[in-house]
Amino acid sequence: MKITFPYMGSPYMYEKLFTLLGHEVITPPKPSQKTVDYGVKYSPEFACFPLKVILGTYLEALELGADTIVTSGGNGPCRAGYYGEAQKKILRNMGYDVEFIIFDEPKKDIKGFMDNVMKIKGKSSWAQVIRTVKIVYDMAKSMDKIEKIVETKRAYECNKGEFTKAWHEITEEYRRIESSEDVKKVERKAIERLNSIKICEVPEKEKIRIGIVGEIYVVMEPSINGNIEEVLNAYGAEVERSHYISEWIDFNLIPLPSYKEKEHKILKKGEKYIEIIIGGHAKQSVGAIIDFMERGFDGVIHLKPFGCLPELVSQSVIDKIMREYDYPILSLSIDEQMAIANVLTRIEAFLDVIKLKKHRKKIAR
Amino acid sequence: MKIGIPKALMYYFYYPFWKTLFESLGFEVVTSDDTSKSILDIGVKEAVAEICVPMKVYTGHVLNLLDKSVDYIYIPRFVSLRKGIFMCPKFMGLPDMIKGLFDGIENKILTHNIVSKSTDISEFHNYTVFIDKLGVSRKDLKNALKKARDKWLEFRTLNKQGYDINELLTSDKPKKYEGDITIGLIGYVYNVYDRFVNMDLLNVFRKLNIKVVTFDMMEERIIQRQLKKFKKNMFWEFTNMLLGTAYEFMERDDIDGIIHITAFGCGPDSIVEPFLTIDSEKHKKPFMTLRIDEQTGESHVITRVEAFTDLIRIKKYKAEKTVEGVI
Ligand code: SF4
Ligand code: SF4
Repeated sequence: MKITFPYMGSPYMYEKLFTLLGHEVITPPKPSQKTVDYGVKYSPEFACFPLKVILGTYLEALELGADTIVTSGGNGPCRAGYYGEAQKKILRNMGYDVEFIIFDEPKKDIKGFMDNVMKIKGKSSWAQVIRTVKIVYDMAKSMDKIEKIVETKRAYECNKGEFTKAWHEITEEYRRIESSEDVKKVERKAIERLNSIKICEVPEKEKIRIGIVGEIYVVMEPSINGNIEEVLNAYGAEVERSHYISEWIDFNLIPLPSYKEKEHKILKKGEKYIEIIIGGHAKQSVGAIIDFMERGFDGVIHLKPFGCLPELVSQSVIDKIMREYDYPILSLSIDEQMAIANVLTRIEAFLDVIKLKKHRKKIAR
Repeated sequence: MKIGIPKALMYYFYYPFWKTLFESLGFEVVTSDDTSKSILDIGVKEAVAEICVPMKVYTGHVLNLLDKSVDYIYIPRFVSLRKGIFMCPKFMGLPDMIKGLFDGIENKILTHNIVSKSTDISEFHNYTVFIDKLGVSRKDLKNALKKARDKWLEFRTLNKQGYDINELLTSDKPKKYEGDITIGLIGYVYNVYDRFVNMDLLNVFRKLNIKVVTFDMMEERIIQRQLKKFKKNMFWEFTNMLLGTAYEFMERDDIDGIIHITAFGCGPDSIVEPFLTIDSEKHKKPFMTLRIDEQTGESHVITRVEAFTDLIRIKKYKAEKTVEGVI
């Protein structure tokens, strides 16, 4: 069994999970033009962009020898919940004899869920499984913590590129960990490393903070969203996302209420505009916009795959939020036809508006 | 009091229910006009650019109703029509979307959640908001729901006997149409029955002497039986119905070909698509996708349908000839 999985954010946690459980792992390559081309070629034309890119990723991993795909069925109600089934149909039709291990919500099909767990457990003992899960969870938490520092401080680096370089090296360090102690060690070193990078501070009043919200895949995968965080940082803006993998785990996989508080708070904030959960992360997106606004962020960028069903509903209410609060929000649609140059111009213009607004405020004071 | 019902989306499936419900409660029911260029244009202008045509059309109908000085526009939130299965996210967020698009429309909207065990949406608990908002008694509401249900079931029975929904909604003496070949038409009611949006597709078939069968004409249990083949159902109920119907069509000898009519940018249909294309080929059933959007021209639809059905006819008669020859 040679396992592969979708690529979203850093792949090293999944890689670690399966490796520590004794499986052979084919880590998929970072999505590139080739991935997109593959995905677009073999997916239905109107499939959402994440489905296409993930299909492209699978095809690349299959070329590298993978024969088993592990993925989550998503808790819907949106298309992602059926990605696995649709992709299986497409790949089988192309002649690939590939096994899919699709994790669906245990409450719907506990037997299927346990069957899958046993497949992943393999020959490991339960003690090993628990230990592994703990290590990977610690790793996810820790990596998110470091990434948040990068997304903030990179805006002020004196020498362009230092933080990005450091971040890449740090992730490679994480890739090598074997235990929770290692995670702590790597984290300590990472913080030291980041602290040593020269910062050209900006007065507090002039700092720009941007929140990024939207559909989880395009928010989390920089190779698909035009490296938007790096771009914003390079323009001197701090960034925070509405999705981090460790928070996703907290909300979706850990059955303890205290781990779900943050997400519930965000959902609550979205309620005025989208009453119920309609699929994907639409309600979270709107809630996160309000949250960023309340926390004093200067503006929000809303990312969605072109034609994304739930995020189109969010977009319909975003205009209203902008009017109501006079708050800058930029909605960007992402697909294979997105022209980076065009996006850059829009981001630049967006930041200009924000700067102007800030400036006016300063004068008014 | 005047209640406005947009002639779009679920209008085509539930109008008899809604009309009876509100009229039994003593309200006047007003519908928007038939979809027209101006309704579509308004929708296109006001709705989010990327959204599917049916949602743009709906937006246009809402505005059309505002001009008719109704007291309320009825925009229910369809959440679920079967346990664990939902609706397209756009239905689930429909009232939010309309509120988001137009400032100050909140007080004009009559909405409530529909969470039902089946497509029969008459369960009382869904409508309790009416008691306060419309000032009706529980008893009257219960009675009205029962009447509405009866009316709707009557409509559905005829529908399942093969009368198309437009016939049933517009004519006192509905007719059935036959033809020398039969096409299984897969599509949501608002794509199949909105004559403006689909360039009067049903009429195109009629002129070509083609009989049409749609998902709404199918018995639910047949659809459900087909759906059992899938390990996992899709999240959206009407999409499931299309899928089940399509597999039934693939297996039935009296269906000569399948046409999938879908709106440009429809998300759920994009997931159905690989299943339909791959498996109709396996079943050797001619299959075609007809995509409609705000710019679709009549000639485009006619040409494609003609080309597709011509081929089917040639094949069919050739096959019949050979059979005769053998005899
Ligand atoms: S949330 Fe958007 S991208 Fe995700 S499955 Fe739904 S439509 Fe596709
Ligand atoms: S099912 Fe398709 S056509 Fe219908 S509302 Fe949803 S996206 Fe639009």
